[in-house]
Amino acid sequence: MSWLAIATVTAALLLGSAASVLAAPEDAITSVDLYTTAKARSLAATYQTQLLRFSEQIYHCLPWLGVTKNGIGFRQPKGAASDDRYLSVWISIDQADDGRFGTLPLAWRVSAMFSRYGVDMLRRMTQLTGIASDADVYGFSVILSWLKPGSDGTQPISETLALFIDKASLGDFLAKRLPASEFTSRATFNVFEGKDPVGRVPLEVWEDNFNSTFKLKNYVLAKGQKC
Amino acid sequence: MRSRITGATLTVAVLLLTGACATSEDWKVWRDHTTHFASGEHGFFSMRNNKDGSNPKVYRSDIEEARNQNWWGIYAVTVSPTQIFQN
Repeated sequence: MSWLAIATVTAALLLGSAASVLAAPEDAITSVDLYTTAKARSLAATYQTQLLRFSEQIYHCLPWLGVTKNGIGFRQPKGAASDDRYLSVWISIDQADDGRFGTLPLAWRVSAMFSRYGVDMLRRMTQLTGIASDADVYGFSVILSWLKPGSDGTQPISETLALFIDKASLGDFLAKRLPASEFTSRATFNVFEGKDPVGRVPLEVWEDNFNSTFKLKNYVLAKGQKC
Repeated sequence: MRSRITGATLTVAVLLLTGACATSEDWKVWRDHTTHFASGEHGFFSMRNNKDGSNPKVYRSDIEEARNQNWWGIYAVTVSPTQIFQN
């Protein structure tokens, strides 16, 4: 391997964050000692079992998705002044470099990914026993990362959507009491290209039941698992 | 003067040749990791099974293996968690 190739790989390793490393179910849970507040530590300890089940469900039942290391936890958005905690999951989506997908504008790609995976993940989190009704849980959050179309020829980069929503608004949206446009206006979200923040993009949300209905052909579920 | 021109020409030639070799080799490295799948489906949907097509099964470990071969995806530049949230 030439120096250039070594440099390229080294740079990629250095630039690539921990977020790009996918985790086994137990490694996807943020450990209690990583939290900085008593509220977060308490939530993490209280709902350890639910979070592990959630992680296992994604791992075994939605194998087209991967959760990043420490990707599930009770987070705060960066810069939050108060200790509002959101149950968050960081999903990496296995997406082949689809030509059609690549021709979509960024805002459409973000909308498509959120509609397909984000809404379903948020719904699943609200169904975890006890969490949605816990007064210490302010809301829910989903982080979605996928490979930017066409970026494989140079330095591959991910596109990422990070969205936070309070639980009342999410509940109303999932129950169809809140229109998608109002949901997105209430949500705090940012889009990133690689490490560069893009900010908000026009986010549209539509019905997409792929994630809850798709079955991987010939997939053999591990013993003892249920989906 | 002539020797200086010859020297300069040789230097440029050497630089071009070594540069070209590096580029060629680098390209081979990248090319050998053609990890994107041609279909518009998720990457591992096109994973292998028995080559004769008999008794096809996909286990979770197959998917892990496919992901581990996803050279581009593993090393893609991705936003850092600290840019998004705090613990």
